[in-house]
Amino acid sequence: MSDNRAASVFSKPRVLVVDDSSLMRLYCRDVLERGGFEVEQAINGIEAMEKILGQSFDLVIVDVNMPRLDGISFIRALRAHASSIAALPTLVMTTEASSQDREDARAAGANFYLVKPVAEAELLRHVAMFIGGRS
Amino acid sequence: MPFVKRNPGAAAADKKPDSLASHFTDLGSPDEEGRWRAARALGGKVEAVSALAGALARERVPRVREAIMTALMRVGDDASILTLLPYLCSQDAGERGAAIEALQALPEAIAPFLPKLFADSDSDVRILATELARNLPAEEATRVLCALIQNEQHANVCAAAIEVLAEVGTDDAVPALQACAERFAGTAFVPFAVSITIARISKTES
Amino acid sequence: MADSESPPGAVHVTQDDVRRLCEFIYRRTGMSFNDNKRYYIDRRLSERMAATGAGSFRSYFATLRSDANHEIEHLVNAFTVNETYFYREDHQLRCMTSDLLGRIVQGKKREDPIRIWSIPCSTGEEPYSIAMWLMENWPEVDSHNIEIVGSDIDTRALNLAGAGIYGSRALMRLPRDVIDRYFARIEADQVQIDAGLRDSVQFTRANLIDASDMARYRGFDIVFCRNVLIYFDDASRRIAAENLYDCLRPGGYICLGHSETMSRISPLFGVCRFADAIVYQKPEAGHVG
Repeated sequence: MSDNRAASVFSKPRVLVVDDSSLMRLYCRDVLERGGFEVEQAINGIEAMEKILGQSFDLVIVDVNMPRLDGISFIRALRAHASSIAALPTLVMTTEASSQDREDARAAGANFYLVKPVAEAELLRHVAMFIGGRS
Repeated sequence: MPFVKRNPGAAAADKKPDSLASHFTDLGSPDEEGRWRAARALGGKVEAVSALAGALARERVPRVREAIMTALMRVGDDASILTLLPYLCSQDAGERGAAIEALQALPEAIAPFLPKLFADSDSDVRILATELARNLPAEEATRVLCALIQNEQHANVCAAAIEVLAEVGTDDAVPALQACAERFAGTAFVPFAVSITIARISKTES
Repeated sequence: MADSESPPGAVHVTQDDVRRLCEFIYRRTGMSFNDNKRYYIDRRLSERMAATGAGSFRSYFATLRSDANHEIEHLVNAFTVNETYFYREDHQLRCMTSDLLGRIVQGKKREDPIRIWSIPCSTGEEPYSIAMWLMENWPEVDSHNIEIVGSDIDTRALNLAGAGIYGSRALMRLPRDVIDRYFARIEADQVQIDAGLRDSVQFTRANLIDASDMARYRGFDIVFCRNVLIYFDDASRRIAAENLYDCLRPGGYICLGHSETMSRISPLFGVCRFADAIVYQKPEAGHVG
């Protein structure tokens, strides 16, 4: 039994949006689907890990503040994983005030960060930056 | 058959329970496992609150930290809440999350602290505090969250309050939500969030 | 009290009401429903609204949020299959023999027993299923000592488990030859499980959130804790998770029910995905938890 969906050039790029806020997940999904991406959701870092282990993603967008497994701890766990998921590109979403979070996210291995609230164009531009690079 | 039937309780039952004093000592143990055990054993013990507070201030291992917070949550009095509250300002995202989770389990006890939290000068604290309104009765949650967003200048704080209102809000929240959407019309997210929330919480015509 | 005899669907529920309900369920339990499951939700919601005498979605949702009369449990029950039978969720049993036991055995001396716990075990179907499955599917079953413990808070259920008598409905997932090997018919619609298996499982009373109860259980390699934590409130889940953590050996595994996820329970365990199941693992000795 395999749930793995190979991300090929013929299928849409797949993004996992991880945020405790249902409205933020909905917003990101709306924006990204209109931008031609396929979107899955998770509510915290543990659920994100469950999904990543079962499905193929091209990018993970993860909020910092989530219950049970926060975004930064999640990225550390991801980067420490024995399999290829360790290389998954990650975009972190932080609030304006949290400069420490940005440093911690970088140190944990995040590829980039966005400051909430994220405008549509900015979200799409950054997602494309990290997905466009795949061969 | 290869199965061995053995009563698991047999050996452990003979063990004498440790004293409170020994648990206090173990809270300071250099051994992570010892601190974990001590924190768990002291769960709900009102006389342990200040020892737990001290241990929490020193603790760096996440699971022990959370066990100490669980122990404090199980006491649930004002002293344990006051111990947990400063961790909402922590620079460590995991520590903030753990504190919120512990406090979320105490909706009645935390309610009197909400006005002060919503007036905190740190916007991240105000954001986290909105979660604490989620388990309040709908009318009270609506009242405190609307009071927050009425004067709130920070988009992310409003966003967090709107998220909770989408679950718990009554239609009394609609005017404050609309005003919020107007105030933050320059952002894409806030008007989006408001329109979904209003659709969810408005009274339906029967 | 509203007239509970009103016809189903009499109370108007909008699409937005359903979205609000779904988000609540998703947040609390991890269960999500895509659009083709919406009719399923509508029916269950109508049933629960009628059962609670709710005159509007708003009043039902308030009842649900406050968990009055364990309404969350009733709603979740409406969405899950609650019947207990042998070889329920057998993909986890398959995972046990295909993936978990090999790893567990590697870390053990030959004479160390393999310890498996079923909690809650209810009337015994789960621990007996584990025993039968091992006999039927694990080639190494005779090379090891295996301890299987079944625990529950309900002593009446435990007594029934010890007696090992079941209706034929409980056998519905068992292959014919397995039934013949391990069960004897005692009445028209009653079978009893083989004495050898009854002697293979230790049944005990235990409460997941009572730390002193749980302190008696240590060193387990696999715990099956299925379809109980989903009903606990947040505080009880945390406590149960901490207790279960202590009951496992480092590197030991815990299996939850198919509608359950550690993401709604505790960060103590790592996520492991195998071909047949997602299971959770207590960190190995020497690893950061």
